[in-house]
Amino acid sequence: MVEDTEFREQVLRRAGSEVLTCIQCGTCSSSCPTAHLMHPSIRQLVKLVLEGRKDEALNNRTIWLCTSCLLCTVRCPRGIRPKSVVAALKDLAEKEGIRSPDAAYEELFLKQIRDYGRIAELPMTAKFLLSSPGSALQSMEMGLEMAPKGKIALEIDRVKRPEEVKKIIEELGK
Amino acid sequence: MPIGVYVCHCGLNIAGVLDMDELKRYAETLPDVAVARDLPFSCSDIGQEQIQKDVAEFKLDRVVVAACSPRLHEPTFRRAIAKAGLNPYMLEMANIREQCSWVHMDRPAQATQKARDLIRMAVAKAALLRPLERETVPVSQEVLVIGGGVAGIAAALDLADAGMHVYLVERRPTIGGYMALLTDVFPTNDCSICVLAPKMSEVFNHPNITLISYAEILNVEGSVGNFMVQGQKRARYIDEKLCKGCIDQCASVCPVEVPSEYDFGIGKRKAIYVPYPQAVPLVACVDPKACIGCGRCVEACQADAVKLEQEPEEFKFNVGAIIVATGWQPFDATRKEEYGYGRYRDVITSLQLERLLNAAGPTKGEVVRPSSGQIARSIAFLQCVGSRDATVGNIYCSRICCMASLKNAQLVKEKYPDTDITIYYIDLRAGGEGYEEFYVRAQKLGINFVRARVSRIEQEDGDLYLIFEDTNTGEVKRVKHDLAVLSIGLEPDRSADVIGNILGLSRRPDRFFEIAHPKMRPVEAHIDGVFIAGCASGPKEIQTSIAQGSAAAAKAFKLLQKGELELEPTSAFVDRDKCIQCKLCVDICPKKAIAVESPAYVDEAACKGCGSCAASCPVNAIDMRLFSDAQIMAQVRAATEKKDEFPLIVAFLCNWCSYGAADLAGTSRIQYPTNARNIRVMCAGRVDPDFVLEALRRGADGVLIAGCRIGECHYVSGNDQALQRVNVLKEVLGKIGLDPGRVKIIWCAASEGEIFARQLKRFVDELKEMGPIGTELRAGEAQEAT
Ligand SMILES: Cc1cc2nc3c(=O)[nH]c(=O)nc-3n(C[C@H](O)[C@H](O)[C@H](O)COP(=O)(O)OP(=O)(O)OC[C@H]3O[C@@H](n4cnc5c(N)ncnc54)[C@H](O)[C@@H]3O)c2cc1C
Ligand code: SF4
Repeated sequence: MVEDTEFREQVLRRAGSEVLTCIQCGTCSSSCPTAHLMHPSIRQLVKLVLEGRKDEALNNRTIWLCTSCLLCTVRCPRGIRPKSVVAALKDLAEKEGIRSPDAAYEELFLKQIRDYGRIAELPMTAKFLLSSPGSALQSMEMGLEMAPKGKIALEIDRVKRPEEVKKIIEELGK
Repeated sequence: MPIGVYVCHCGLNIAGVLDMDELKRYAETLPDVAVARDLPFSCSDIGQEQIQKDVAEFKLDRVVVAACSPRLHEPTFRRAIAKAGLNPYMLEMANIREQCSWVHMDRPAQATQKARDLIRMAVAKAALLRPLERETVPVSQEVLVIGGGVAGIAAALDLADAGMHVYLVERRPTIGGYMALLTDVFPTNDCSICVLAPKMSEVFNHPNITLISYAEILNVEGSVGNFMVQGQKRARYIDEKLCKGCIDQCASVCPVEVPSEYDFGIGKRKAIYVPYPQAVPLVACVDPKACIGCGRCVEACQADAVKLEQEPEEFKFNVGAIIVATGWQPFDATRKEEYGYGRYRDVITSLQLERLLNAAGPTKGEVVRPSSGQIARSIAFLQCVGSRDATVGNIYCSRICCMASLKNAQLVKEKYPDTDITIYYIDLRAGGEGYEEFYVRAQKLGINFVRARVSRIEQEDGDLYLIFEDTNTGEVKRVKHDLAVLSIGLEPDRSADVIGNILGLSRRPDRFFEIAHPKMRPVEAHIDGVFIAGCASGPKEIQTSIAQGSAAAAKAFKLLQKGELELEPTSAFVDRDKCIQCKLCVDICPKKAIAVESPAYVDEAACKGCGSCAASCPVNAIDMRLFSDAQIMAQVRAATEKKDEFPLIVAFLCNWCSYGAADLAGTSRIQYPTNARNIRVMCAGRVDPDFVLEALRRGADGVLIAGCRIGECHYVSGNDQALQRVNVLKEVLGKIGLDPGRVKIIWCAASEGEIFARQLKRFVDELKEMGPIGTELRAGEAQEAT
């Protein structure tokens, strides 16, 4: 039984109809370098799509953990592109206003680049911690380790032509 | 030429829709018609007797039956008129059931109109029918079997026992194929070579079999009944008559040792060798690639059998039929880099395991880790390696490897009960008599099954780690084993290319040889007189390979036993005065039936009557005995004689696929518009551009050409040729100011009645849009005038 046929069609249109030929062998999951963090696994995600289980397919960490390394896609014995399934789900999730757990961080990251053309770790982290104080302790530990190695920029300096960077970002956003 | 016309009611199947009285009365008015009748059931005895009575009474010399599809009852009515003393080919049928009453049930008036046209077309064609004789030609009663695996052996023995002489040509120094190298075999786990060896010696000793080993076929000419075969026997560097096969004397002094292909690289052999002790013929062979020419074997052989200066020998013979049993070859596991085969020593193939398990194999039956020589304690079987895998281009299932792994797992477990065995599978395929029971047996022996497709193998500190998702629990795991067995798939033998080209056989997308029909004709090739058995047409187990060998033998026997062949008079023939020797037809003929002699000459035994040559001949020097140019032209003219429907479509349907599809639309009662007047041709490639132009010239609004789907043409490439011609035609139409869309070509399989109906409907809509033929010309003129 397909729960939400329209959702299934939406994903198939983006990821290709070969997804229908999935044999649930798990080659994708076990090829994935971030598989240990993923619940559901990529294979299970494909199954959720095929069953039209929209809620579960869109509301999970897995889709945000894919690094687009494409190993699943290279190895799939059916010629399916599991990576494209994930991309389709991310896309649909965003349209539905579902945010990745790290969305706040990503937005700050992008804003700084848009404004200055590059990232300075300290101001960036400071702003992020203001918005989600929960992760302060963990960040401080890492910061203390990194600072002596000169890995943390304290001030923002601009790139030469920030307008170009802005253009790139706009282009990507289309 | 008095013609009789019989309009069949077929109960209410036809009479329920069409106006039978009207059709009968109309038929009476057609030229040359001496008598027209409507019959309740023309195929019944009463119906047939009526026709026979009329033949005598009205001195009919040709008969038209307007009834069901000729694909159904043409043979019936041919027999019926033959009984009345007419030549059976003086019959023409009008298909007013499948292609009329059944598909236009809600438009009886237009359907009756269409039936009138179809009857008029049939009468016009009937007037041009000529009596034809079925010719007989003498045939050779010998058979060539290519490949001496278990399938080829079965075929050769059955034919030889039935009294036919067989040439068995085997590429390797011994017959036996892969079966000879397996250990015990499923589903009974009996020793493979023990059951095969007696058959192999029987072949060797059979008075009706000429075994030519270590040889290849170079060329085949001719056609069914008379194939001329030419080949070469490679040099063994051994006098076969002198060699006793003792092999000790020569091999013990040979200084060169190489990996043995008969042990799949895990055992060794000398440069002079016999493949294995049961080899047939039991004659040594010198491997020219390995031999350093030291000559020690020459001295050692007491029989004086080693002849290092030996040359290859050519051979030639004639046969009436050919059985292709070239088998399979293993998938090259190094292509799956992620499994480390070739880099990690303890990753082996299923065939290597077969040799390890074999008591006569390199380890005398011990299953050891190649890296250490120690008995393996934890063994993984990886299924579907090189099968069901789009990344290596093999999407098919190799069918036997699940069973082979179940078997080998059992054999290991029985020998070493403490060994831990896991089979990693996607789906376990055990369909066959006794196969599921065999699976249960493996489960009861304590073999583990994990539903997973291993994504890679890693080697660490000499151990193997398999990484996979256990798909039943969803866990991604990394599990240690000390031996990994890759269940490699079966691919067509590498010689399939060569043999396929020599014989003109077609191949499926999976590269195995294609059989004439995937269900109804399991061992026949598309080429008459050629049969395919065993793994040459796809992976299969021993039992089925033997069954196919025997089936092919029976087919060959049936074909040749009379010593002569009756030919359907469908063939092409050349008007030698008209032929300008351009040789276009020679290239076009898919059956290689036209010879290059000048002028062209058709081998009527090989010709299957597709008519593509006739359509392509620039000077109309080739014509067909059935479906002649004049007959088809007469149908075209009759179809366009009256135009009481718009758009009027003249449709050419190929006998095998689209005519079948149109019939199926009928049997499925799929309703579609009445606009098409169908003309049956053997192949879409038969449609001469002249037919199309004549139809348009005489006022047809559109012409439809329907063939088999690309790649599925009954004559291999007729539909491709039709497509090329249509493309040229479209250009011509464009140049003279007609809409190129008035000619349409479509593809449908015989199972695609739905598609035929849909395409026809679409064409009708397109033509309505264009308007009656010539609309565009008048529009063009009007434009010029302004
Ligand atoms: C690991 C493994 C285990 C198996 N175990 C079992 C089992 O337990 N039970 C079972 O039923 N099946 C088993 N099979 C399947 C079995 O091997 C096949 O069913 C069988 O080999 C098919 O026989 P064949 O004659 O069609 O082909 P082949 O055995 O491949 O024989 C073909 C022959 O033709 C010759 N040849 C090829 N090309 C040419 C040419 N151009 N000219 C002349 N000669 C040519 C070849 O040299 C060969 O001798 C197993 C297969 C594998 C891979
Ligand atoms: S038989 Fe089994 S192992 Fe072989 S390809 Fe088919 S499913 Fe895979």
